[in-house]
Amino acid sequence: MLLTYLLVSGITSGAMYALVAVGLVICYRTTGHLNFSHGEMYMVGGYFAFTFHVLWGVPYLPSLILAVVAGGVMGLLSDRLVFRRLIKAPPMAMVVATVALSFLLKGIARFLWGGQGEFVPFPSIVSGAPVQFLGVTIFPQQTVVLGVGLLAMVALTLLFRNTRAGKTMQATAESQRAAYLVGVRVERVYSATWAAAAALATLAAVLMAPLTQLTPDIGFSLLIKALAATVLGGLGNMPGAIVGGFVIGITEALAAAYIDSTAQDVSAFVVIMLVLVVKPTGLFGAKGQRDV
Amino acid sequence: MRKPLPFVLALSLCSAGFAPSVFAEEGITPTTIKIGTMVALTGPLSPLFIPQVNGTQIVFDEVNAAGGIHGRKIEYIREDDECLPARGVGAIKKLIYEVKPFIIVGGGCSNAAIAEKPEIIAAKIPWIITASTADGLTDPVSPYIFSSISPAWTEAYGILQLAIDDKKQRIAVVYQTDAWGKARIEPLREALKKKGIVPVAMEEVSPEPTDLTPTALKIQAANPDIVLMLLYPKAAVPFLRDSFKVGLKPTMVGVSPLLEIDQIAKGAGGPETVANFRVLGAAGYGPEDAQVAQWKAKVEKRFGDRFNLYHLQGIAGGQFAVEALRRAGPDPTREKILTAMSTLEAKADTYAGPFKCTPTDHQCQKTLGIFALKDGRITGVGQTTPSR
Amino acid sequence: MSNAKRLFWLPRGYVIGAGFVGFAVIPLLLSQYYIFIANIALIHIVLAVGLNIVLGFTGQLVFANGVLFGVGAYATGLLMVDAHWPFWFAFPAGTAIATIIGVLVALPALRLRGLYLALATVAFAQFALWVFIHFDSLTHGVSGAVIPPLNFAPLPIIPPVGIYYLSFVLVIVAVYLAINLVRSRIGRAFVAIRESERAAEALAIDVPRYKLLAYFISAVYAGAAGGLFSAVVGAVVPDQFNLFQIVLQFCMVLVGGIGMIWGSVLGAIAIIGLQEMLRGLRELQEVGFGLLLLLTVLFLPGGFGAFLAKHVAGWRENLRNTSEDHAR
Repeated sequence: MLLTYLLVSGITSGAMYALVAVGLVICYRTTGHLNFSHGEMYMVGGYFAFTFHVLWGVPYLPSLILAVVAGGVMGLLSDRLVFRRLIKAPPMAMVVATVALSFLLKGIARFLWGGQGEFVPFPSIVSGAPVQFLGVTIFPQQTVVLGVGLLAMVALTLLFRNTRAGKTMQATAESQRAAYLVGVRVERVYSATWAAAAALATLAAVLMAPLTQLTPDIGFSLLIKALAATVLGGLGNMPGAIVGGFVIGITEALAAAYIDSTAQDVSAFVVIMLVLVVKPTGLFGAKGQRDV
Repeated sequence: MRKPLPFVLALSLCSAGFAPSVFAEEGITPTTIKIGTMVALTGPLSPLFIPQVNGTQIVFDEVNAAGGIHGRKIEYIREDDECLPARGVGAIKKLIYEVKPFIIVGGGCSNAAIAEKPEIIAAKIPWIITASTADGLTDPVSPYIFSSISPAWTEAYGILQLAIDDKKQRIAVVYQTDAWGKARIEPLREALKKKGIVPVAMEEVSPEPTDLTPTALKIQAANPDIVLMLLYPKAAVPFLRDSFKVGLKPTMVGVSPLLEIDQIAKGAGGPETVANFRVLGAAGYGPEDAQVAQWKAKVEKRFGDRFNLYHLQGIAGGQFAVEALRRAGPDPTREKILTAMSTLEAKADTYAGPFKCTPTDHQCQKTLGIFALKDGRITGVGQTTPSR
Repeated sequence: MSNAKRLFWLPRGYVIGAGFVGFAVIPLLLSQYYIFIANIALIHIVLAVGLNIVLGFTGQLVFANGVLFGVGAYATGLLMVDAHWPFWFAFPAGTAIATIIGVLVALPALRLRGLYLALATVAFAQFALWVFIHFDSLTHGVSGAVIPPLNFAPLPIIPPVGIYYLSFVLVIVAVYLAINLVRSRIGRAFVAIRESERAAEALAIDVPRYKLLAYFISAVYAGAAGGLFSAVVGAVVPDQFNLFQIVLQFCMVLVGGIGMIWGSVLGAIAIIGLQEMLRGLRELQEVGFGLLLLLTVLFLPGGFGAFLAKHVAGWRENLRNTSEDHAR
């Protein structure tokens, strides 16, 4: 029973890491930058959902939609205020700026919501009791998370690869100048990208909130896991990031139970360091690199 | 750049006469007594410490309203140590060398307290610990340090005693891997050994876990009839929630940080999750109990806090300090108050048992209350005074 | 010589002189509280200067400086507590250990650049924190270790004053060495690498070797700062060496000015001072320093150092010893 629970739980959290990682990758492919405050977008998104649903009593589904929209707006604001000015700057400026932004957001979140106490209760959309399915114990919330998560990921990958919007984003990444010449509104593409990524992170947070705890500090550890997923799959590789997310999720769950409860935290860091040192292009090869 | 050397020499000669003595009787004037405290006023642990300081403040306010101690009013000054040694040392140095209190009443987070302790001892300032249970602060005994709150080992010995009294045979333990957890698991191991009991499960969890279902499943596999939880709320809530989910529902006993059973129940998903849950803590009564109603009213009026068991600890600490100051007489010196405290016996309004200090034992409080959630209210259901 | 408008007259020499005298007399005039805060500032000057060398001059985006700071603190502290070494042996040994670890970690990092380097060092920093916490047979885990106070016999001074002056002397040495380093061929090689690694290679600069040297130097500085830190605070605890610590260090370097040694000195003093003013307002610290760092990156990328260099006489930091520096 333990092993199957661990696998299911690992796949579920893996789906979330993958969803968050996809947001990271979309931004990276389009703008060439990694957003180190992406974890905080997740955290703030979760708190938005908490505010709408638990504090203001808005029903679950509308709260979810509102929260995702609010997340998107956060992404737009960040773009307007911060990212836009640094798009052309060397990576160092953007990395430092997004790290700074993450602390800023964390502090503001602590101020606004920190007083809620140490554990923020978020009711499940479905009953919390476990069910037996083919001899495996599953919690219904996990299936919701997994289902929606997979749907979102598949949809995004297809969108990015096959629609005009997606191709526009790729084109902008390859050459801003060419994109301009062809009439692409590059700033708009960037804005849309940041907004979409933040909205994705919010969706992940809302799905995950009933299963985990919401505190102002969860952003960073989630970011590390999403980064590990991205690096493992190959920086910029979207399917790679998805696979990476699942691998990280399962590895964590197994490590926590069979090695040490504390091994859960460390597996992500070890993955990042090992991959970057041994094979920086990851399992499936990196894509969309800026000339560093 | 002109040669700085003569300038520096001249300045040092001038200031050679300055030798601010820290060890004179500071903090006392004919009309005031200055008392200092350094606690985690900000940061993740502040919800545990601010109520304690507020509780002590209320006691001091009452005393001042009645005319003070031997005609002196108490001025209570707080500094923030952020629960980090570097910030704590800054806080204690600011207190000792700039604020210059007569005594220190308070002090919280053990992370910061271990660094603050040498400074306090070096400055020979009496320190009444009201909020930190770390054994290392009061053991071995220091002439300057007294504790009004029950130390960590009493909680460990206490919960084991509870299990034994309840005739439980299959004891499981879940504890967290941080300083606080370590301070309790070690005396608990000691106590288990002394009683010759082998637990059926001993599970370690991280202090900020997201999912404790694996732990709950593992414990469930050992089929315990009682689970001893050496956890803070951040870990206890997921544990209770996930245990309930998988159907692990034996008696569960927690310790002091879990005194806010109603909040814990809320986080874990409702009162059913704490139906078999009891807490052993350094307090005498539940926050809704009649015996502490007058304090509840005063705290709510002055601070607007939600009255909880941490306030009770602060109130007890304040009363200990006031009694010690009274016994030091109308011409108090630090010597006198230390002497007074080394044999102090008194009773606080908010603890079930008395204070008793001896010259060789400055852990002056050892009685713990036992609490459960009944009809949505935290209620006292017993008490225990463990011994080693 | 730039034609930027001179805003006011405040020659750097006078500021440095005043600062030197100010720090020198603090123990004589002010209480132990101020001595402590000033000592913390001195330690961070060493940290910031070291970080600037690898980050500002050589352009390597490393988040590992906080780790080496922690390793230095732990190594020195544990040698004193567990191996009972006196500080005078533990401190150099601790610095050496931090340096060795810094270099070992730098070796695989030499191949990484930009984003990859940032990622790897962030992961390493978190990994190191995890080790500090969980390798508790060595590090005493989360509760940390208390360091016995120093003994300055036969000098008749109390330990806080002794360690203060020791720190003061080390800062002078560290800054002096750094200034001379950046004005030498090595310093110019660093800057060349920062501007373009390929161009530097084309100029026959052995890029990996110089990068390693930069890492080495910053490790020495961070390790020494750490050793002093453990002695001043009297305890080592893992929480002290988390990501916020690195954000503070970045603030010092970026606000002071990338590639400007005196800028880092000023930056360290300013940030520590600011943090002390925000005592009791910790939540504000996160917001405040995050905002400060963000605004600096957005609007003042050269930091205050660059601002001063442009608008005030005598603040330019050149890569060569020029006649400008000797003229007054």
